[in-house]
Amino acid sequence: MTKADAVVVFLALSLLLLLYSRYWIGTNAGETARILIPGEPEIEIPLEQDREYTIKGTLGESKIAVNAGRIRFVNSPCTTKQCVLSGWLQNSGAFAACLPNRISLLVAGKALRFDTINF
Amino acid sequence: MHVPFLWYTMMFGLACCWVLFSGCERQDEVHREQIVALGTIVEINLWGVDKERAHRATAAVADEFSRLHQRWHAWEPSTLTVINDRLRKGQSITIDEESKALLSQAKALSLASESLFNPAIGELIALWGFHSDDAPSGPPPDPTTLEAFVSKSITMKGLIFENDTVRSIDPSLQLDLGGFAKGHAVDVAIAQLREMGIKNAIVNAGGDLRAIGRKGNRPWRIGVRDPRSNGIIVSVETHDDESVFTSGDYERYHEYQGKRYHHIIDPRNGYPARGSTSVTVIHRDAATADAAATALFIAGPEHWQSIAEKMGVEYVMLIDQNDTAFLSAAMAERIRFEVEPPPRTVVQLL
Amino acid sequence: MVVMDVTSTKPLRTNKEDYLIAWLTALAISVHIIEAAFPSPLPGVKPGLANVVTVAALILFGWGTAAWVGFLRVLVGSLLVGTFLSPTFALSLAGATASIAVLGIAKALPGVVFGPVGYCVLAAMAHMAAQFGAAYVLFIPHQGLFSLLPVLMTAALVFGLVSGFITKSAITYINDRKA
Repeated sequence: MTKADAVVVFLALSLLLLLYSRYWIGTNAGETARILIPGEPEIEIPLEQDREYTIKGTLGESKIAVNAGRIRFVNSPCTTKQCVLSGWLQNSGAFAACLPNRISLLVAGKALRFDTINF
Repeated sequence: MHVPFLWYTMMFGLACCWVLFSGCERQDEVHREQIVALGTIVEINLWGVDKERAHRATAAVADEFSRLHQRWHAWEPSTLTVINDRLRKGQSITIDEESKALLSQAKALSLASESLFNPAIGELIALWGFHSDDAPSGPPPDPTTLEAFVSKSITMKGLIFENDTVRSIDPSLQLDLGGFAKGHAVDVAIAQLREMGIKNAIVNAGGDLRAIGRKGNRPWRIGVRDPRSNGIIVSVETHDDESVFTSGDYERYHEYQGKRYHHIIDPRNGYPARGSTSVTVIHRDAATADAAATALFIAGPEHWQSIAEKMGVEYVMLIDQNDTAFLSAAMAERIRFEVEPPPRTVVQLL
Repeated sequence: MVVMDVTSTKPLRTNKEDYLIAWLTALAISVHIIEAAFPSPLPGVKPGLANVVTVAALILFGWGTAAWVGFLRVLVGSLLVGTFLSPTFALSLAGATASIAVLGIAKALPGVVFGPVGYCVLAAMAHMAAQFGAAYVLFIPHQGLFSLLPVLMTAALVFGLVSGFITKSAITYINDRKA
């Protein structure tokens, strides 16, 4: 091995280090969901920690629960409760919304595969 | 070690960093913002526009949407309710260019759909209780009332344009643009963004959207939601300028004694259309896509092909009540199923 | 490739060199074919073991010969495996082009002397990066693909080192035979 060879190997190793830190650490942190509220920044929440969130919307407070990597509306101050009926959301791109309260949930996954959702 | 060698080493390292971090920035170039408009959530995605300008563009679209909302709302006082009042009295009414353009477009699309997309049946929609922000309750309308209305065969043919006025041949002709107003608004918003020099955008109004341009070096990728599972059933990439509209029986409905009556009313019998669960249409302009999605939903799995052909719509996916997906041949080439196993599909030529 | 130089005054020596080139090309194609059966998380993306031959040709006969061996290998190899003009062929071609280009640059750098290991690592990394880039741009433009990149590049480094040492012993062997 010449000196140049050693430097090439060293550079290759540092490139790998960069690649791992860039594409594995961080993206591997787990699935997340986005809570979308019009006119406000998106709230991103991890789906690893089981807990309940209370989000204030136009009508009042919506309760959102995270459990075992899934997320759902538990309660919302709307009449139809369609958001609650949507049940647990797990897969990337899964979506539920409480339109009267202007709150929607979107499971983002490791990398959100779609730019927008048609329904 | 040679001096030039150290030099090359540094250059190589810098090149690596540049490649990695330029990739990093590129992902964040979509500006996504939600606004409340047209009684729903409108999401606007802009690519390659700086934050400041993107925010201004979104605000401009929001203003335009609230103007259109006041103009075309089916039951809150609007330009449309004023027109409807005059039509009910059998009077003719002077309308501006904008109203005339929209109403004649609605008429043309309605006639092309053999009146399955029928914005002239506002009275029927009101009978079902869908002229309200709340979900309707109580028993469905009385069959004889529905029968009486249907027997009048009210269509857009009865809406007559004369110079800058409009009148109807039947006082029961009441306009309800329904989802069509949304398609129109999306078209207007896209035109507005283009005027502002924005070339890459998606305007998604409560699930129905029009996408122009691309997301950097790749097309915009749209996920179509599966009404049954809340997941994504198919994905599609838009080419250049396309709208993706879906009409489904799960969007709005009237529930009574455990029975669901959805909001897409078949003008031929006065009852919610049977046979389809959802229809997804891809077409250039949103207004046509919107009208076609409604018309093809009502046409159902047996008749959608001929109506699609008459309306000039090429890309159609209809899912029936047995979860079978009927695809136009052109649509089959565009979509990718995102569910395992994919549903039973039938590909049909138009 | 085996051409008898009838005008040569030393026919035996010329034969030996030609024999070496033919042997290298044939070997490159065999390695290419063996590689085609390699499991890879991204179909068509290979570690680039066939670079052994390209690099040996580079050191023994210069860049021109290495480029010929590299491109011929992709062409003939794909004809034999039956992937000619297929997506796999596009990936192979991208990989070969990149590694040959990088080898050319590495060889031309003034004041730097690489050994077989350095060349092989450079070639393998360039090979993999180009294949990945081609796969991303041409076939699967999906961000998720990038999570494979670190693994693929690690494989490239390992195979680059392995092929480097193979090349080194091969060259020593050839030089011994020559001498």
